[in-house]
Amino acid sequence: MIPFEMVEPTSLEEAMSLLDPEEPTIRPVAGGTALMLMMKAGVFQPTRLVCLHKIEPEHARIAVVDGGALRIGAMATLSQLEHDANVAKHQPVLARAMRTLSNVRVRNVARVGGALAHGDPHMDLPPVLTALGARVSVSGPQQSRELPVEELYAGYYETVLEKNELITAVTVPPLGGRKAAYIKVTSRTADDWPSLGVAVSFALKDGTIRDPMVVVSAATEKVTRMRTAEQALRDAAPDDAVLCRAGDAAAAEVETLSDAHGSAPYKRELLRVYLRRAVRQALDERA
Amino acid sequence: MNARAINFTLNGQPVSTAIEPHRNLVELLQRFDLFGARESCGQGLCGCCTVLVEGKAVSGCLYFAVWVDGKSVTTVESLDADGQLSSVQQAFIDAGAFQCGYCTPGFILMSHQLLKEHPHPSDDEIRHYLSGNLCRCAAYPEIIEAVKMAAKTAP
Repeated sequence: MIPFEMVEPTSLEEAMSLLDPEEPTIRPVAGGTALMLMMKAGVFQPTRLVCLHKIEPEHARIAVVDGGALRIGAMATLSQLEHDANVAKHQPVLARAMRTLSNVRVRNVARVGGALAHGDPHMDLPPVLTALGARVSVSGPQQSRELPVEELYAGYYETVLEKNELITAVTVPPLGGRKAAYIKVTSRTADDWPSLGVAVSFALKDGTIRDPMVVVSAATEKVTRMRTAEQALRDAAPDDAVLCRAGDAAAAEVETLSDAHGSAPYKRELLRVYLRRAVRQALDERA
Repeated sequence: MNARAINFTLNGQPVSTAIEPHRNLVELLQRFDLFGARESCGQGLCGCCTVLVEGKAVSGCLYFAVWVDGKSVTTVESLDADGQLSSVQQAFIDAGAFQCGYCTPGFILMSHQLLKEHPHPSDDEIRHYLSGNLCRCAAYPEIIEAVKMAAKTAP
């Protein structure tokens, strides 16, 4: 890696003041596990990294707020998410997703905020949090704002965040009896980047699916909701025929990208099959 | 250029040095003649560079050296510092859990972490916990055996 400056602000405000909305070679760094890969590959050559380790410790807390919503500070590590008792109780699908995310060492270091802000469509948290209807809190020098995780991504490695904005937390609403599952498919080792991620959540009433969310990642340029698949599931009893129709609808709708983890047609077929499995898994799990 | 002074605890001893922000933890350890953590894949996938920071396993190749300022760092070299091999080290020898030995320091440190979290791990727990460590000689069956042996002999 080539030399750069590393600054370590001690407050969120100071961190934002050290970022520059016009300067792409200045970036914040949380755990750095993904950013260092880009730097080693020469894809990103910073002049300055704004390290967030020394900002207020409250940004690393996970807590239950407002009647069961889970507020996850952006600086919480993925290991915290994996082992936190409140996460296991209120959003078990999140804790389960952590178990297959990279490996123990990466989870010990990588942070929730970084996993969201990096914009890599292969990451696991964005599809799961989208399917759970989570919202991110974002701070900027002028104002703070909140937006759904679903609206965070603009394209391949692109978010809607300004370069001097920072994600401070993500809030996951209570499941309220909804079912949820996330499945990822890796074509090489178990802890490899996925060829496909598919997250689903839905309510089940009188044996039929209500308000389904179907979210695809890794196979697409960004985290994407599959609206026609949701349509196929809505108000239907989840029998084999319905699940097949939903899988077919998703395969017809999705725009997949080829990469080292699989060709575009391969990923399309994966989605057709794994969408059905994700719904079945959600039905089997206690969310 | 732009080297920064850092102070940290290395295998129980307070140490100081100056290092540039673009260096990683493996490079830092090499300056202290510690070569047990090796940068192999350079992508956090293989586990050869496993180091404990504040008692938690990290990939030294994906960890900025300056970040250990004020922290405690533990490497594989600490395990037999008193002249006695650790239970895991002894078990790896007894089970023949290596061939070329390149990945062994990483596997041994990760196995210590594994046994701390799961004192009596199942095969599945061992496989899952060590899935981020690669042995290109494929000594996996012996490694799993060694972890189970260490679990029995651990004090």
